[in-house]
Amino acid sequence: MKSSEKIIDYDLTSARSKRKLVNLWYCMSGYRVRYLFAILSQGLSTVCKTSVYLLLSWFIDNWLILKIRTFPIAVIAAGLLLLAVLEGMFSYFANSTANYTAERIALRIRNNLFNHIQRLSFAYHAKVDTGDLIQRSTSDVDAIRRFFSEEAIGIGRILFLFIINFTAIYRIHPTLAFSTLIIVPLVFLVAVGFFRNISKKYDAYQNQDAVISSLLQENLTGVRVVKAFARQEFEIRKYEQENWKKYQLGKRLLRMEAFFWPSTDLLCGAQMAISFIIGAFFAIDGKISVGNFVAFLSLIIWIIWPIRNMGRIIVHMSRALISFQRVMDIFKEDQEPLDKGSYLPQKDPKGYITLDHVCFAYQNEEEILKDISFSVMPGQVVAIIGSTGSGKSTLMNLLPRFYEYTSGSIKLDDIELNELPRSYLRKHIGIVEQEPFLFSRTIGENIAYGVSEKKSQSEIEEAAKAASIHENILSFKKGYNTMVGERGVTLSGGQKQRIAIARTLLKNPRILIMDDATSSVDADTESDIQSALKNLMRNRTTFIIAHRIQTIQEADLILVMDKGRIIQSGTHQDLINQEGLYQKIFKIQTRIEEELEKEMCCD
Amino acid sequence: MTEDFFDEEDFQGKIDRNIIKRIFQFAMPYRNWFFAFICFTLLTTLMDSIQVILNKYLIDQAILTGSKSEAVRIVRYYGLTILVQAVSVFGFVYIAGMIGERIWYDLRQKMFTHLQKLSLSYFSVTPVGWIMSRVNSDSYRISDLVTWGLVDSSFAIVNILVSLGFMLAINWQMALIVLAITPIMIVTAWQFRLRILKEYRNVRRLNSKVTGSYNENISGIRVIKGLLREQENLREFNELTSPMFQSAYRAARLNALFLPCIQILSAVALASIILLSQKKIDSGMITIGGIQAFINYVTSMLWPVQDLARVYGEMQQSIASGERIFTLLDTEPVIRDSADAYEPESIAGDIEFDHVSFYYDDGDGTPVLEDFSLKVRQGEVIALVGSTGGGKSTIVNLLCRFYEPKKGVIRINGNDYKTYKMESIQSRIGMVLQVPHLFSGTIRENLQYGNLNASDDQLHEAAKAAGADEFIQSLPNGYDEQVGENGNLLSVGQKQLISLARAILANPELFIMDEATSSVDTITENLIQKGMEQLMKGRTSFIIAHRLSTIKRADRIIVIEDGRIIEEGTHNGLLKQKGKYYHLYTQQFRQEKEKDYALQL
Repeated sequence: MKSSEKIIDYDLTSARSKRKLVNLWYCMSGYRVRYLFAILSQGLSTVCKTSVYLLLSWFIDNWLILKIRTFPIAVIAAGLLLLAVLEGMFSYFANSTANYTAERIALRIRNNLFNHIQRLSFAYHAKVDTGDLIQRSTSDVDAIRRFFSEEAIGIGRILFLFIINFTAIYRIHPTLAFSTLIIVPLVFLVAVGFFRNISKKYDAYQNQDAVISSLLQENLTGVRVVKAFARQEFEIRKYEQENWKKYQLGKRLLRMEAFFWPSTDLLCGAQMAISFIIGAFFAIDGKISVGNFVAFLSLIIWIIWPIRNMGRIIVHMSRALISFQRVMDIFKEDQEPLDKGSYLPQKDPKGYITLDHVCFAYQNEEEILKDISFSVMPGQVVAIIGSTGSGKSTLMNLLPRFYEYTSGSIKLDDIELNELPRSYLRKHIGIVEQEPFLFSRTIGENIAYGVSEKKSQSEIEEAAKAASIHENILSFKKGYNTMVGERGVTLSGGQKQRIAIARTLLKNPRILIMDDATSSVDADTESDIQSALKNLMRNRTTFIIAHRIQTIQEADLILVMDKGRIIQSGTHQDLINQEGLYQKIFKIQTRIEEELEKEMCCD
Repeated sequence: MTEDFFDEEDFQGKIDRNIIKRIFQFAMPYRNWFFAFICFTLLTTLMDSIQVILNKYLIDQAILTGSKSEAVRIVRYYGLTILVQAVSVFGFVYIAGMIGERIWYDLRQKMFTHLQKLSLSYFSVTPVGWIMSRVNSDSYRISDLVTWGLVDSSFAIVNILVSLGFMLAINWQMALIVLAITPIMIVTAWQFRLRILKEYRNVRRLNSKVTGSYNENISGIRVIKGLLREQENLREFNELTSPMFQSAYRAARLNALFLPCIQILSAVALASIILLSQKKIDSGMITIGGIQAFINYVTSMLWPVQDLARVYGEMQQSIASGERIFTLLDTEPVIRDSADAYEPESIAGDIEFDHVSFYYDDGDGTPVLEDFSLKVRQGEVIALVGSTGGGKSTIVNLLCRFYEPKKGVIRINGNDYKTYKMESIQSRIGMVLQVPHLFSGTIRENLQYGNLNASDDQLHEAAKAAGADEFIQSLPNGYDEQVGENGNLLSVGQKQLISLARAILANPELFIMDEATSSVDTITENLIQKGMEQLMKGRTSFIIAHRLSTIKRADRIIVIEDGRIIEEGTHNGLLKQKGKYYHLYTQQFRQEKEKDYALQL
């Protein structure tokens, strides 16, 4: 638990205010003072910048015009340098600190999200769209990061520039100061309006980008179809149409930009011209000194032009807040507690399992499992058969507590299942899926994936041998270091399954749940898988979700399921003598053999 | 091309002139426009410098002399420069932007068109993601370099030069100081940029891994929960995000240090000017306005310097992008028509594999087919059976001329099929793949893929023949129903029916089908069987067969193992041999029957 506490330095699931800004404040926990300092030194840096111009103003008036020179000029030069160094220091401190905070918060959100997502319940994962979740975890998090590293600090900078330089001009002459504000509100409004508008157009452009991107992707994945129908020309034309549309949308976007920049240039330029003439008249009339006028020429630049940028920052900020909300919505979902349980056994389970009148329904929906009762002795094999949708898989989902049974009782070694921590159950239950999921890492790492302690190469190979996959792995150029997935080998269904079996063997669970999926596998590999399975089932309480009749005849208990109920149970011998579904199945089995016989001789 | 080749995200740091030359060739069609926007850029920066000079005059000739009329006159000129500047800003933003979009468009189109010509072998070794990055993002970097990169760098260079020129005109000694410091600023800025870029690259690399982690974390959630991997996964994830934080923060720190350093350098220039100013003013060598102009030039010098450094950094990336684009564009299709290839009237006729050997170039050179010979009469239906990896798909790939034999000849109608034009073969083949692939768009559009000129009647007829009509009609929008990306809104069975109808519509002379192994419901299965029957009628057909009904319907069954024919004959004949076919058949028989009966229960 200790290491996880360090990785998750602040638990974001506790930020549950209804107000975005309050949650943002929670997010900043630990970095608030630092960030405040960043903004503050942004202000100090601006003060230094303005001071440079004021010093120059004083220098021109006293030194150059009035020629009052009480100390060596080097002092002024040194002063200028000092101010520049101070400005630089403060600016460095402000930006590096703001970025430190931004990156720290991004790291915090990323780790929190990753951890949270993997601890959310199956009910959540079943309903959520993967693409959306990934988008939230990546681009939305990035938008939040930029909020802290660029936007918040940027707004601060512009405000400081405005206030400090305005104050400086105000000190020179109040009327002059107010004269700089004539067009500013207009520029601000135009900028906000423009950026809001263009961001919509930009979305359309981005969508078109997605269109041509998926067009290309489909063309590449469907390359055989394109070639088989010799439709290259057609594809080129189709792509060209959408490509051209994107070009047109891009031009539309550009037209807006091309109008915006010069028109605000004009506005700002007009403001400058007005201020210049007023300033010049004031200087001629002696209301301000020449040095002041020179300073004014520079200060005004720092008031007017940043305003234009403010429009962009404000629009981006509002988008960042939307992103923030999208991310926080994920944290509103409850995690599935892994270690919570009123009883933690000290020993491994024996594997004695009883179900008593168990029912299950997804939230407020119709019951999927009804009144399930049976019991299994340690080391026994239970086979469950029934048609798709009969509830076989759902029943198996209850054992590792992927879902919680709604009523009745399930006991493992006489302890109620929901009193045991999920982590304890999952540690001792191994699952082999019908279509096993492998991770894009090496085959060796995939086999060792389920065990927390380091396993030696020989242990991994032992497991692979027992799963009849060792030889296959060695036939790859890089052996156990072969990557799985797009960057590596493509494995067949049977190979994947045997790797999953090796993975489970290495985990060495007491209880085993298997989805028997040999039906989609080649003849040669089927016998391999059968022997692998035999190795796997030895000495474990085993549940087999069976799709075929052959595999289950040796089971200690066979459950026949239909519409969420167990309609028959017993051993093979019991069931074939009983009228019912199983007997029918068994009869079919013999009938098939007879038919095959007939096929062979008479055809 | 090794695996590493596709991992290579970035450049080696060297700037290759040839590549730059080739990159700028993409801009050649628009050279007149280039001339225009560079002129506008120059005009803009010229106005910038003139504005500074006007300020000088405002001080020297209006304020210091006390002439208001002169002030008005000068500000009027100022207004004029602003107008000119607005027009020229419009000019370069619009033209450069437009050309940028255009070149981007051109590049995408060029690559897409080229990709259509490449052989299948290219696509089997090149990851889709790699190609997509070339077409989508590398092309952007190139278009950005030749437009905005050019704007910014010409703007910066001219700005610096013009400013220096004006400074020289005002006072050459002071100008020399600035001249001495400018290169130091540029080099410093550039060094910073290089280091920052290096960190950014690292961030980007880690970021794509982070995205991958999220992806697996979500799609593999069942396994993760079942194996209790949460703790370990978080630890591993942190091993990605922590260095990512480190790198991003290092980049940010360098970035934060960058501007102050340049600024301090310009302050050094400013302080030196101040030191000199006293003597110059006293001796009347410079005016107050002149001093002001210097202050202005020096303090605004850092922006062009910064731009220059940025463009230079981006240029290196763009060149790397260019290199990758050129490797794509320079790839020649492996399979091409010879100069005297011709278009035959028809490719219906006997087909012969004559001692054909083949191996894949990306494999370890072990032959997939060895000395393979097979004669097929016009109209014959051939079922290819055998275990996975035995060479069945390769036979089909060769027949379609997706690949060509390494040794031996394939003859159609008695002629080496290489004497025909590739397109004439492929356009006459009807192919149904094991995993049906549809394109986004409507069902109608997908069917028309088989025959672009098909009338609605033909379309419906083909759909009916394939047994697809019924389910299509039951959809809310019928034939105009959207199928979604890769056809994902339809079920596998429906996709198969549509791809059958598509092949029927193409009215091919040769039919090739790779039967799906995945199971569909019985009704769909029967429809598919009927559709296949339609297609096989009177046509030479090659079926990679998995279903007994298909196999039994074939005129001849070929059992392939390790690239050779091990058994060949009719169904009954082969059963009697009690060999590999017998074994495959009985196993398949049990499986299919079990499934059939399971459905009845």
